[in-house]
Amino acid sequence: MKTLLFILIVLFSGALAGTIHGIVNLGIVEPHLDEAIGIENQNLFASGEEEDTPQFWAEYDAYRDWQKSGQVLAGTILGTSIGALFGIVYAFARHVLPGSNDLKKTLLLAGVMWFTLYLIPFLKYPANPPTVGDGETVVLRAILYLSFIAISGFGAVGFYQLSKRLKQNRKVLSIVGYAAFIGVTFALMPANPDEVTAPMELVNEFRIMSVLGVTTFWISVAVILGALWHKTRPDAEISTR
Amino acid sequence: MSEVRQQNISKSTVPKIAILALAIVFAAGLFVVGFDQGHIFSVIQGVDAYEELYIHELTHDMRHAAGFPCH
Repeated sequence: MKTLLFILIVLFSGALAGTIHGIVNLGIVEPHLDEAIGIENQNLFASGEEEDTPQFWAEYDAYRDWQKSGQVLAGTILGTSIGALFGIVYAFARHVLPGSNDLKKTLLLAGVMWFTLYLIPFLKYPANPPTVGDGETVVLRAILYLSFIAISGFGAVGFYQLSKRLKQNRKVLSIVGYAAFIGVTFALMPANPDEVTAPMELVNEFRIMSVLGVTTFWISVAVILGALWHKTRPDAEISTR
Repeated sequence: MSEVRQQNISKSTVPKIAILALAIVFAAGLFVVGFDQGHIFSVIQGVDAYEELYIHELTHDMRHAAGFPCH
């Protein structure tokens, strides 16, 4: 395998898909973040911690503009990170993934990773907008979320390994096994300890947009890496005989 | 008479150095966007970094949007 080429196309795919994710979020997620932070501001005014003055809003608007630019930058960084994991898994799984070309293979793998590493953990620990979340519990929530992602991801790998030992007509048992395993884990894992205090309509709309944004990332990274892999073939070596 | 032919063969071996490099990128990027609470800048700034939370604030919107616990 051409090592440098492999690393470069993986990093580029993740960075570009992450940037797309950040830009999409600017359009679909930011209005809900602004609304939620607006509630926080009203709470600050009501408690007397801040005063509703033109100066406050000037500083607030400048700060939010900076944070929104951070949304795109963070998208690029996060995309590069998740894209790196996607590239590692694809390099190992490519020869066993069904599909007649790289694009079909990357899309299938992205679908599996989106489901096991994002959607399943999201259903247990859904994203929350600002105003929801107690700072005192953030470490516990981070541990729970990461643990569930790891359990789901390694569980999927484990049941895939199991499926290789099963006869063709019994391979579906590994999917049933994963479903049972993750169902039990789902029930046993502690719930998010924080109460949702924001209006549920805002929270639900935010969550839908959050899922759409992350889904955009997974589709993008699959399409970009699939196309680049097909074009550059980092796994091909020229042999002369 | 010898015949020289060129062909592409697919090699399934994945270089360990590439896996290591990408694994480091994965872990570092995930920590920066998902979990840093001043830890990285504390190397330079000391304890002030835990108050200022520069990376936390910069990645704040994506942290919420991607489903990470934020505050």
